[in-house]
Amino acid sequence: MSRSPQALLERRYARLGLLLIAPTIVVFCAVIVYPLLAAIYLSLFQLYTPTLEGSFVGISNYRDLLARGEFWISLRNTLVWTAGTLSLQIVLGIGMALMLHQAVWFRSLARSLILFPYFVSTVVAVLVWRWLFNDLYGILNHMLIGSGAVDMPVDYLGSMPNAMISMILVGAWKYFPFVVIAVLARLQTIPDTLYEAARIDGAGPVARFFDVTLPQLRDVLVVIILLRAIWDFKEFDLIFLLTGGGPVISTQTLPLLVYKEAFALNQMGMAAAYAVVMMAIMLVFMVVYIRRTREKDAS
Amino acid sequence: MHNDHDIGGTHSRRTLLKALIAAAAAGSLPLRARAQRTELRWWTPQGAPAQLDAYRYQIAAFEALHPGVSVVLEPLSDEGYAPQLAAAFSSGQVPDVVTHLPSFSVQSYYAKGLVEPFDDVIEAIGPDDFYPGANDVFRAADGRHVACGIGNSAVNILWLRTDIMQRVGLERAPETWDEFRSALQKLQGRGIYGTALPYGRNTATSLVFIGFIHGAGGQVFTPDLEVAIDSEATRNALEFYREIRDFSPIGATNYSWGEGLTAFVSGATATGLYTGRVLTNINEQNPRLSDHITCALWPRLSRDIPPWTFNDFPSVCIPAQSRHKDLARRLAAFLFEPEGYIRQLHAAPGHVLPVLQSISEDPRYLDNAIIRKYRKETDLMAEAAASGFNLGYESSAHRSNEKAGEVIASGAIADMVQRVVLNRENVDRVLADTTRAIAAVMAR
Amino acid sequence: MMRRLLFNLMVWSAVLIVAFPLFWMVVTSLKPQLELWARPPAFLPVEPTFEHYITLLRETNFLVYFRNSIFLSTATTLVVIGVATLGAYSLVRFTYRGRESLAMLVLFTYLLPSVVLILPLYLMMVQLGLANTLFSLVLAYTTFALPYALWLLRSFMAGIPQDLESAALVDGASRMGAFRDVIFPQLLPGIISTALFTFILSWNEYLFALVLVNSDESRPLTTGVMNMLISSFNIEWSLLMAASVMMSVPLIIAFAFLQKYLTRGFGAGAVKG
Repeated sequence: MSRSPQALLERRYARLGLLLIAPTIVVFCAVIVYPLLAAIYLSLFQLYTPTLEGSFVGISNYRDLLARGEFWISLRNTLVWTAGTLSLQIVLGIGMALMLHQAVWFRSLARSLILFPYFVSTVVAVLVWRWLFNDLYGILNHMLIGSGAVDMPVDYLGSMPNAMISMILVGAWKYFPFVVIAVLARLQTIPDTLYEAARIDGAGPVARFFDVTLPQLRDVLVVIILLRAIWDFKEFDLIFLLTGGGPVISTQTLPLLVYKEAFALNQMGMAAAYAVVMMAIMLVFMVVYIRRTREKDAS
Repeated sequence: MHNDHDIGGTHSRRTLLKALIAAAAAGSLPLRARAQRTELRWWTPQGAPAQLDAYRYQIAAFEALHPGVSVVLEPLSDEGYAPQLAAAFSSGQVPDVVTHLPSFSVQSYYAKGLVEPFDDVIEAIGPDDFYPGANDVFRAADGRHVACGIGNSAVNILWLRTDIMQRVGLERAPETWDEFRSALQKLQGRGIYGTALPYGRNTATSLVFIGFIHGAGGQVFTPDLEVAIDSEATRNALEFYREIRDFSPIGATNYSWGEGLTAFVSGATATGLYTGRVLTNINEQNPRLSDHITCALWPRLSRDIPPWTFNDFPSVCIPAQSRHKDLARRLAAFLFEPEGYIRQLHAAPGHVLPVLQSISEDPRYLDNAIIRKYRKETDLMAEAAASGFNLGYESSAHRSNEKAGEVIASGAIADMVQRVVLNRENVDRVLADTTRAIAAVMAR
Repeated sequence: MMRRLLFNLMVWSAVLIVAFPLFWMVVTSLKPQLELWARPPAFLPVEPTFEHYITLLRETNFLVYFRNSIFLSTATTLVVIGVATLGAYSLVRFTYRGRESLAMLVLFTYLLPSVVLILPLYLMMVQLGLANTLFSLVLAYTTFALPYALWLLRSFMAGIPQDLESAALVDGASRMGAFRDVIFPQLLPGIISTALFTFILSWNEYLFALVLVNSDESRPLTTGVMNMLISSFNIEWSLLMAASVMMSVPLIIAFAFLQKYLTRGFGAGAVKG
């Protein structure tokens, strides 16, 4: 250990650094790590939820879980839902941000209105959408029939593939404003000179988007995609209230299974096992994703 | 900070937790004694504004009679009370009185020792005043009552549009399935559907279909709680439910309670399956129909089979960990004092029906616009509900099934309905799967 | 000229389609109950009325819930921003062992579905004597706001050029002084963006509020309104729509006010993963 003033300063800074991150660590240990470890611990038991009493069963919860067909189907549904709604959120988010980046009439109002789906509580949003989708008095069917596009009302939520598609669309509607804001802000810092240069080189608008805009957006998008993917994977309220996992189990996702085990079947231990498996799956994706984006960064 | 190092596992962790809570409680005790003020907590998942008013009236009256006692009302979520109660029980932070839980929930908590026996309170209210047999659903395996009903709801009541019936020449309400089918054929038309039954993946579908199983003379469990869903009766019920699918709107594949109610109230269907809530909603949301509705018991396969009314038996019970059990018992009994009780009932007339015969005939109870106008209907519903059943108690011969709530929540029955009716899967296979699924829930 | 017109129409059509449910909510909240289920559905109320708003404000605890939500969301936002800003500063500008792993660990805890966290968390709150208080919710909301605030702020901070800060240090400022005078002002837009998202998150959260707080006096809007107006057999639609409009409006106003900071915010930092 060198004792030069340089090294001393660095060590003092390192200590300050640790001090600054300390509150985060404290909050984490107290509020997050303890319940998280408790949850992992609980997954080794069979517990009756209201009393949290039961017996140790080791990994048999995990064995049961992986043997159940319902688990694999729900996993597939979760992946379909996440991929579908995430792509829409990104694409629509970027598209809308590009549009709201231009001079538009009453632009501030437009931006506030775009954020509305994100503001409104999920429970209320889903209730309103169920109303809009309703076959008897929902306005969507009313307009479709009125315009002659269909002659019978469409069953948006009770049959496949409608249910999954409706769910993905409502999810995209609810969360794409998050992407809009992020991209919009980043767009405003892209120097005009880059666009000028591209224009001089003869690039049209599409080429300008792919050669100038998209590379500049890349860094924001990497983080946004990661955060939103995790959030969408864990989404419970929207799916539970919109379709309940139906028809049969074609829109049932893993978070619904966790809730069902925990509070409907009163099996907290099994629910914890499902949760841990969910975490493991997300962790795998996350590690792969971060590695690949790091590689791209380096290249 | 609490450490999870004990190998004794959950048990000693819970003991430590209980010790901590006891210490905290003991620490605050002297303060309590000094203040001489006891606080009772009352939880209910039925907290619509009109109902809250009624409860507050009762609370004020109770507090006036018991100085030094204050009652705090805390509404629960009707869809989400399970996690709330789970948190309360597991931490010992329980309320003193819980009202409006369905009977099978209370039975399941009682079986785990979380709820107090309720016989004293029933004695205080007057056991003979209850409709005969109305409290049987609350009898536990040890012979004691776990709760008593606070309001009955006849859930699977057949609502009818008399104007449409007249138009198509239907003279009286159908009583058998054949009559029902032909009635639906006549009633449907001119943009109006015959009925609006739930076919969604939700508890409404499960509960309604259990009614159909019984309507066919079957049952989900035997009186000794063996799974008996794989039967001729169930197949008949599934067949019938599929046959009448076309008489419900297209979106019924996702319908739950609310959609069915609104379909009838808005005039989109000629019949409906619902509680007495229809009466208030029609009068508030679609009054032009208010003179053209009536109700009857839900049809069954044939006249030999007695009608089976579904009643979730909203109850009143006392958690075992309550610290003021005597006062809680007094409060529970007080809720049935006519002045206050009638207000509760008037907050949702026809939907919440009296459990006490004296109240049904009390002129103050009858002095309500809805009840007066629909006297025949409310009397019918009150009687039907009082002799009603649910999955936790399918007949008077059945043992109480404390896992009924979990069977419903597992979705096994709704899944069965959807697979057979919507997906047209092979009935034998589906029934075998359903039997297995239900048995798995019972075995845990 | 034509192109400008078409472009504006296209953008506003998209905006109106996205905001359509909001209009529907507002319109429904102004309809008397009689008009709720009109077939065919009517877009505008025949006889607009404010009765539902009045009922909510006068006859229910709506204002109490509102006050609680304001307190809850503001407190959560302040705590999360405070802790996350310092943490992000540490992760970006300092070097010490385990720095990257800490960042990863933070994100890892974010992966757990909150349903299984609830009971252990509630038991912990009971032990701490915080059960049934808004403060327990503030602590709980930190569980899901903090990881994400930390990662976002980290991105912003990484985009602020180091030269200004180095210059300040050379001039003799302490690290924290440099932070306060140089970094903080540049970070402000980023902080406001993160604050907005944190606020919305705590404003709309339902499940934790449901379990951790039962007393009506301490209840926030989400559970207060839902418990009151939604039951399995009946939904009070008119009151619910009025309540939802009142729940969304403050957020829209706050956003309109903060908008310029927000959009200036995100972009200020190129995000390094």
